[in-house]
Amino acid sequence: MPDIAYLPLSPAQIDTLGAAGCMAADWSRVQVTPNFNPEHVVRVQFAGEIRLGNCDGQVAGSNGLSKPAGIYDAYIANCTVGDGVRIARIGSHLSGYRIGDGACIEDVGVLQADSESTFGNGVQVETLNEGGGREVTLFNELSAQFAYLQCLVRWRPRLVEKLAHLADQEVKSARSDRGTIGRQATICSVARIENVNLGDSTAVRGAISLVNGTILSCAEAPTVVGAGVIAEDFIIAEGSRVTEGAILGKSFVGQACQIGKQFSAEGSLFFANCEGFHGEACSVFAGPYTVTHHKSTLLIAGLLSFYNAGSGTNQSNHMYKLGPVHEGKLERGCKTGSFSYLMWPCRVGPFSVVLGKHTRTFDTRDFPFSHIEAKANGRCEMVPGLYLSTVGTVRDGQKWPARDRRTAPNRRDLIDFDVFSPLTVGRMLRGTARLKELMKTTDRSVKVVTIEGAEVRRVLLRTGVKYYRAGIEMYLLERLISRVERAREAGNQNLANCLSVDSQAIFSGEWIDLAGQLMPQDRFETLCARIETGQIDSIHDLQKKLTEIHSCYEKDEWAWTVWAYQQHFGREVSSMTTDDLKAAAKAWQGVRTKFLKLILNDASKEFESVTQTGFGIDPEPSQREADFIGVRGTYEENKFVQQIEEEIAEVARRVEAI
Amino acid sequence: MSDVATRVKQVVAETLEIDASQIGDTDRFVEDLGAESIQSVELVAAFEEEFDIDMDSEGALGVKAIDGAVDFIAKAVAEQHPG
Repeated sequence: MPDIAYLPLSPAQIDTLGAAGCMAADWSRVQVTPNFNPEHVVRVQFAGEIRLGNCDGQVAGSNGLSKPAGIYDAYIANCTVGDGVRIARIGSHLSGYRIGDGACIEDVGVLQADSESTFGNGVQVETLNEGGGREVTLFNELSAQFAYLQCLVRWRPRLVEKLAHLADQEVKSARSDRGTIGRQATICSVARIENVNLGDSTAVRGAISLVNGTILSCAEAPTVVGAGVIAEDFIIAEGSRVTEGAILGKSFVGQACQIGKQFSAEGSLFFANCEGFHGEACSVFAGPYTVTHHKSTLLIAGLLSFYNAGSGTNQSNHMYKLGPVHEGKLERGCKTGSFSYLMWPCRVGPFSVVLGKHTRTFDTRDFPFSHIEAKANGRCEMVPGLYLSTVGTVRDGQKWPARDRRTAPNRRDLIDFDVFSPLTVGRMLRGTARLKELMKTTDRSVKVVTIEGAEVRRVLLRTGVKYYRAGIEMYLLERLISRVERAREAGNQNLANCLSVDSQAIFSGEWIDLAGQLMPQDRFETLCARIETGQIDSIHDLQKKLTEIHSCYEKDEWAWTVWAYQQHFGREVSSMTTDDLKAAAKAWQGVRTKFLKLILNDASKEFESVTQTGFGIDPEPSQREADFIGVRGTYEENKFVQQIEEEIAEVARRVEAI
Repeated sequence: MSDVATRVKQVVAETLEIDASQIGDTDRFVEDLGAESIQSVELVAAFEEEFDIDMDSEGALGVKAIDGAVDFIAKAVAEQHPG
């Protein structure tokens, strides 16, 4: 708040206040702005140091009604109240707050800040491993990337120490003997708020109890905390909605998340655009776009991102031995089917679908896009690469960037959305090598081979290789063609120039997924080293460095592509001629078109007669198809289908232009 | 019954774990034989191995019944192993 010159109350103002039923232990400790209007202060008791704004004008209340500013029926202690604020019907007391201009506080039981608080900053969250050892410190500027480093990289003790130091700096800066209620914030019908900071334009309506937390909010991205919410030791970031009886304990809700419908979370972190309804999360590290919508869904001790939990999804993290010490990873893009169960520890490779009840440990990290199904005996059966060319994968890749709801000026979590990237394609290269090795060494009489706990039918080894080959070639050729297209658009007609690796690029064969941000292993190592040596010495520095890495994604990706192209095709990209490029474009057209046709084939299944089984009403079977068309439309008219068909034509146009 | 048809039924029987004698010439994989989506992939893989052919995924997944599979495979064998 800006420095404001406050004045003592004049005798006339004290008389007016007294006549309106107001009292103060010591009127000399009540100061006001020069334009203070005592007419709008009624039946108020003041205690301690009080500073009041003008108490004039109108306030937008929680229900949209415009109401007069002023203070009515309240006990207020040690507060600074901005201009145009409305405070009405405080059941017990309002104490220890700085209240921004235009705020509206009505029907609140207790609203208090203690003499010294960090408002949720500094809370240690036992994320991922419920047994502890991976604690993440909550602070207002917490990003998915910082949390990943602090939670996951425990093999570098110096890094752990330095990260704790960076977090502590933030915690210290949050410490205050006064709470803050931001400008235009609205608080109504709330039983209890203690030691909670509320940012500008926050709306808290009907919450039951909020204790030790911060609600980050701004005019561009107002945050809403709704009816029945109980939260303790928490931070909720800009643009999020925590509503409808949600319960949070020691948890972080990142930007533009939606938590509601009685969802409960303990010891969990949710980053950008997560959604949690009905179910439960315990010690979960929910990276960006983790979504769980259904009842009886327990997510526990897992690292997730771009994840979709089916109803009844469940995991367990201990075996009645040393406690809840197990943990698991579902890498980006995974889905778990209805009533699927995973007994940790397990690790599921990116963009895989998990079905059934898994009671055995497995690790499919090198087999992205796989079908992971539990057999009757609980063992894992895998079809490698099955979901490379399915409708769901394509739709996911399109929907995530389109559904980024963040509107705050600073987007803390850095997100690389690509489904096909050095991370996933690198895994496909490794997976292919493993499958080929098994094809060579496995006798035809063998029905099933086991890879890190996952069973694969021997005949499907070759299928997996085929799927991955298509995915790898489609990616490498597409990157090549796009690179040339972009260079030409920028006026660069020299092929060698546009195919060369940028001088700022960093190459690593291995890539890391830092909770949504993709980067080469070498950048990750350098980042960690800089933190360890103190070159990065603040959260601001770290965010700046991460943003810089983020901006180098395409350059680094191209360096990796050049290497992978040589690995896979045995050709140096740098020595390509125009004829080579044209041949590559033709090859890309072939593999891309085939891929898109497989997508169409997958989409067409949604229109087959079997799919129509649930449609129509008895006893009119003839109406079934008509009913189906009435609800779902026809294959030909389907927008997604039309879009894919258009893309096939677009691929042809692009190849022609090359 | 052709050799291809017999072998197709044998592969289907092994993959879907059903009795080969119960498989009709025009049985549909999903509706009549109870194949699940994943098993269609496994069937293609098993056909490829049995007949030493490479089946085009798009075309193969379009085959819905035994007789269609026999025709598709016979054609692929003729193309990929002429003579």
